[in-house]
Amino acid sequence: MKQILVLSGKGGTGKTTVASAFIEISKARAYADCDVEAPNLHLVNKVMNKKSKPYYGMSKAFIVQEKCIECGLCQTNCRFDSIDFDGKYTINPYACEGCSVCKYVCPVDAIEMRQSINGEITIYRDKNIFSTAELNMGSGNSGKLVTEVKTQLKDNLTDEPLVIIDGSPGIGCPVIASISGVDLVLIVAEPSVSGISDMERIIQTAQKFRVKTAVCVNKYDTNISLSRKIETHILALNIDFLGMIPYDKKVIELINNGEPVTNVEFSVSFAIRDIYRKAIQMIED
Amino acid sequence: MQVAVLSGKGGTGKTLVSVNLSYLAKDSVYVDCDVEEPNGLLYYKLKDTAQEHVNVKIPVVNHEQCIGCKQCTEFCEFNALAYILEKVRVFKDLCHSCGGCKLVCPQNAITEFDRSIGKITSGFYNETEVFSGKMNVGIESGVPIIKELLKKVLNKKKDVFIDSPPGNGCSVMESISDADYCLLVAEPSIFGLHNLKMVYALVKVFNKNIGLVINKCNDDDIIKDFAKANKIKIVGEIPMDLELGRLNSNGEIVSKYSQYSWLFKDILNNVYKEVS
Amino acid sequence: MIIVMPTKTSGEKSFISDHFGRCNFFYVYDSELKSGEVYINENKDGQGGVGIKSAEFILNKKADVLITPRVGEKALVVLQSTDIKVFASTDQIVKDLIVSYLNGELKELY
Repeated sequence: MKQILVLSGKGGTGKTTVASAFIEISKARAYADCDVEAPNLHLVNKVMNKKSKPYYGMSKAFIVQEKCIECGLCQTNCRFDSIDFDGKYTINPYACEGCSVCKYVCPVDAIEMRQSINGEITIYRDKNIFSTAELNMGSGNSGKLVTEVKTQLKDNLTDEPLVIIDGSPGIGCPVIASISGVDLVLIVAEPSVSGISDMERIIQTAQKFRVKTAVCVNKYDTNISLSRKIETHILALNIDFLGMIPYDKKVIELINNGEPVTNVEFSVSFAIRDIYRKAIQMIED
Repeated sequence: MQVAVLSGKGGTGKTLVSVNLSYLAKDSVYVDCDVEEPNGLLYYKLKDTAQEHVNVKIPVVNHEQCIGCKQCTEFCEFNALAYILEKVRVFKDLCHSCGGCKLVCPQNAITEFDRSIGKITSGFYNETEVFSGKMNVGIESGVPIIKELLKKVLNKKKDVFIDSPPGNGCSVMESISDADYCLLVAEPSIFGLHNLKMVYALVKVFNKNIGLVINKCNDDDIIKDFAKANKIKIVGEIPMDLELGRLNSNGEIVSKYSQYSWLFKDILNNVYKEVS
Repeated sequence: MIIVMPTKTSGEKSFISDHFGRCNFFYVYDSELKSGEVYINENKDGQGGVGIKSAEFILNKKADVLITPRVGEKALVVLQSTDIKVFASTDQIVKDLIVSYLNGELKELY
C-alpha cells in the first residue's frame, strides 16, 4: 500500500483540487483529508455511509468552585494566562494547554483535569473509504487528530494499493503529523512571491523528515516568469519537478459542482494527469 | 483600533487586504501573525530592520542532583521527559514550557534555559510600522511568537492591522484576542463558503464585531447570500482581476496603483465607519 | 533474549501494529523461557511523544530486540542511544514473526 500526501505550505494553491483529481484518476478507493482545521475534500469526493464520533483531545483544567479558597496560586503559576478572576477564578478552556500545573499547586485539590471534546472524526464507507475530521475552533494540537485520521483509514483498509491524502497548509504540527509514513509528498506551489516563500519552508519541513518530495506549479500562467523560476530552482535542489498546471476558471465551476476537475477533458485535467503519471512512477521506483 | 484580518481558508487574500489597508491608513501598524508562513515582508520590503528572538523556557536536568525518582517524567502531560538509561532526557520539541517538571522535582535538579523558536522582525515602511513573526522550521506551535507580537502593539495609539494565520486553531484564536474588529476575507466558491462558516463561528464565540470582504469576486452570489442570511456587513468586494493578481503575485502593494487604490480606500473607510 | 513487538490485539496470534507509539499492546517474548507476556500500552492516547514513552517502556522490560514496521523520529533518537536492535516487521502474526527473527530472516530497520 502506497501513500501520496499533497501539501502546499501556502493555502489556496490547489491542494484539494489536485488531491481530488488524483483520487479520480487513480480510482483510489481509500483517501483522507488531514486538513483538520478546514477540511474540504468531502465537498468534492463524495462518499456515502457517514459515521462520526467525537474526538477527545487533551484534558483541560477545571476549577471546582465549592472547593476553591481563592488563594490565586493557580493563576500565579499558570504560564498561559488561562486563569481569569471575575468574582471567582475560572479557567479559559481556549487558552488552557492542559499542563496540570494548576492542579499540582492547588492547596485544596480544587482543580480537576477533564477530557474535552475537541472535534469530530468521521469515516465514510461505501465502495470507497474516506477518513476525515474536523477540529473545533480554538483547539490546539491538531497533530494528534491528524494521526487518528490516518490510523482510522489504515484500520479500515483491506487491499487498496494506493491512498491519497489531502494535507493542510502551514508547516506546524498537523503537517508534521501527516508526513509520517507516506511514500511521496507532492507540493503544489503557486507562482507568487508568497507562494515561493511558503514552498521553501514546506520543502525544508518535508526534507527534515527524509521523505521523497516532488513539486508541481499550479495556475502557472498567472505569472509565467515566476513559474519558470520555481522550476529552475527546484531542479537545482535536485528535487523532482513534475509539471505545471494552467489557470482556468472552469476549475472553480467544477469544484463548486462537487466534481473533480478530471471529469472534464481540458488543459487543467491533461496537466494533472501528466503529473499523476510521474508521481506514480516515483513511488514505484 | 485593532483590526484582525482572517479567513479560515488559505490563499483568499488576508495578506493582500491587511497589507493594502495598513499601507493606506495614516500612521498605522501591520503585524504578520502567520508565523508558520509569513508573507508580509515580501510586500513591505524593509530597508532597516531590528530582529529579536522569541524564546521559550526548556528544562535542563542536573544529572548529579537527580535521584531518578521520575516524578518529572510522570508529571509531564506532553511526554517531553523520559527516563532512558538511568538519565532524564528532555525532548525540546514536545515541551510546552509549563514549568511543571521544575515544580515537582524534589531535588531542585531542574532549571530552565531559553530556546529560540523563531524571531520577530520590525521596521518602518513609510509611515507604517511593520512587525513580522517567523517560526523556525520543525517547531510545532507558533503561539508564543504571536503572543509576543501582540504585546508589542498592546498600547499603541495607532490603527493596528493583524494578518492572521489560516485555519481556525489556536494560532488564529491567539491572533484575534485583542482585536476590536474582525475582517473576514472569503472567496466565492464552495470551499470558500465552507471555511468562511468555520471562521465566522470562531469570531462569534469571542463576540467580535465582524465585517466581510469578498475577494476574487465573480457573478457567484454564494458568499453574498451567506452574508445576507447572517446579517454580516460586506465592507468590500475585490473583483477577480488578472492584472491585480499578477501585481500581487510579484510582491507589489497594489494600492500604489491608482486603478486599485480607490478599492482599498473604500474598504478602509467602511471599516472606520463600522468601528466607530 | 527479550524480544518486544507492538501489537494490534493481544496474544501471539495478533498482527503487529502500524504504530510503535500508539499500539494497543506490547508483546514481550523471552526466548530462553520460550514464553511471552502481553502489556497494555498505557500511553497510546497521549498528545505527542508517545513513541518516546514506548521506548521507555521497552527499556524497562530490558528488551534486546524490537520488531516494528517503523519508528518515529524522536523514538528513533532514543533507541539509537541504546543497545536495542530494531528489526523491520513483516506481515505476519507475532508467533510466526518470532520464528522469522530467530531464523535470521528479518532485516534491521536502520
